[in-house]
Amino acid sequence: MKAVFLYTLLRFRGRIVAWGLALGALGLLVVPFYNVYLEQEEQMLQLIENYPPEVMAFFGGTADIMSPEGFLDGQMSTLPLILGIFAVLAGSALLATDEESGRLDLILAHPVSRLSLFGGRLAAFVAATIAILTVCWLGFCIPLSGSSLGVSWGQMALPFLSVLAVVLAFGTLALLLSMMLSSRRKAAATSGGLMAAGFFLSGLSNLNADLAPFARLLPYEYFQGGAAIHGLNLVWLGGLLAASCVFSALAGWRFQRRDIRVGGEGSLGIDHLAFLSRLRRSLSG
Amino acid sequence: MTNTPAILTRSLTKSYGQVEALRGLDLVVQRGEIFGFLGPNGAGKTTTIRCLLDLIRPDGGTASVLGLDPQADPVGVRSRVGYLPGELHLEDNLTGRKILRYLSALRSRAVDWDGAHVLAERLRLDLDIPVKNLSKGNKQKIGLVQALVHKPELLLLDEPTSGLDPLVQQEVLALLREAKADGATVFFCSHIMSEVEAVAERVGIIRRGQLVEVADTAALIDRAVHHVKVRFQSAVDDHALDDVPGVTVLSHEDPQNVTVKVEGEMDALIKALAGFPVTRLETTRASLEDVFLAYYQSDEVSAEDS
Repeated sequence: MKAVFLYTLLRFRGRIVAWGLALGALGLLVVPFYNVYLEQEEQMLQLIENYPPEVMAFFGGTADIMSPEGFLDGQMSTLPLILGIFAVLAGSALLATDEESGRLDLILAHPVSRLSLFGGRLAAFVAATIAILTVCWLGFCIPLSGSSLGVSWGQMALPFLSVLAVVLAFGTLALLLSMMLSSRRKAAATSGGLMAAGFFLSGLSNLNADLAPFARLLPYEYFQGGAAIHGLNLVWLGGLLAASCVFSALAGWRFQRRDIRVGGEGSLGIDHLAFLSRLRRSLSG
Repeated sequence: MTNTPAILTRSLTKSYGQVEALRGLDLVVQRGEIFGFLGPNGAGKTTTIRCLLDLIRPDGGTASVLGLDPQADPVGVRSRVGYLPGELHLEDNLTGRKILRYLSALRSRAVDWDGAHVLAERLRLDLDIPVKNLSKGNKQKIGLVQALVHKPELLLLDEPTSGLDPLVQQEVLALLREAKADGATVFFCSHIMSEVEAVAERVGIIRRGQLVEVADTAALIDRAVHHVKVRFQSAVDDHALDDVPGVTVLSHEDPQNVTVKVEGEMDALIKALAGFPVTRLETTRASLEDVFLAYYQSDEVSAEDS
């Protein structure tokens, strides 16, 4: 499992650097803006008041936009969505890409159990996501000394834990779907679609309360954003991590039991037909 | 434990939806032999190997590899097996050296670089070129090196010489003989009958998921059909060879020349010809390909009849 973990992490290194630096740069740019916000508070509030109320409601209202948590909330609201793209692509590709290309045959012909392969790759994915968020967090923390936000590095880490939990939920969902659907592309599209739907449903539920029950079904609703600097909602965090564990366990169970596809084959169709075929034979025999 | 066959399957079945890839495969491969597994595309060769490695799970029947159940102890089986897939896919950005290092790490051991370099040299492979810059044949060589370098007890090779030039093909066959000499069992699928004939001590022919023939290679060829051209010194009756057992007259171009087909041993024909003045006798040596084609042509005929 160690070899699988290290090798997979090595494959992630380019993405860790690219995503980490890009999101870290975002923090370096965004955090110093808080001082500008405070200096131009009146103009900012006037500008915000001129926005259509629906737009402001979509992004959670205007009540505390000038507070540190409100400011961070606004800047970080799309972070799970942006990093979610990485998570969905990486999660869906974790095993399915090698399987679709035929490389998994050779790897699994070596003395490594399916569980070890699955565990090693999943651990590398989690480590890569943490690494990206760590670089991003550093990007948000470095300008803090010159900022009026009044947030410690430790406090700044809390919203990132919330981001991590949401992103892992979508990444592991993509992994699970890649074990169930006939192609990695379908798994990425489905989980990516659910992620975008969660973002929009969560925003729209501020406008239409009837949508709130649907928004609560998706992980994005449990992203705390800037509010986390005053303390994490452990129930939400625990719930998201539990969902990730359930998705991972189901994906692992599925990977353990199913046939490894020859490159280019679809699994759902084949398994589904095989099941029907066996059922028909058992009924007729 | 070492008395158990290297490979043993009993009534192995595997379906992909409506397609029955294996229909009760019974196969025994003894330890220390080179076994050629023949069959056209879709006959079930690759499915058999993938069942033996627990890459796919059979619907029914049992399989044993080196005395171990592949489903109960897949890691135990794979630690003693070297495998070359029929369709080899490698990571494009890695060099052969890095691939070998990674695959050896999966075996929790360091690469035997001395052995790897010897193999690479014999196969004329440069281990430091990225896979994306390698031809199909050179990628195949990496596959062969990774299968052979850890000196496994059992080699499962699916089309081992695919994409290789004739000189390297000969080297691969030599490597298989050496592996056998070192005590390994070699189980390989191939479409190239001449190479199976050259190295395999026994062959199995699989047709539509069932084993239709298993025999010593030489014995199988001896049982095959031979074509014999006979030139007589003087004219001979058209029907002179009609009643010879196992002999069918194919053509009688003129009273002095006749071409016959002989099934099985030649003894009856030789004895029949002893009564005539023969000036020339030409025998076409049967090959494994003739045997193989005979099975499949008869299959096509029976399919057409039904």
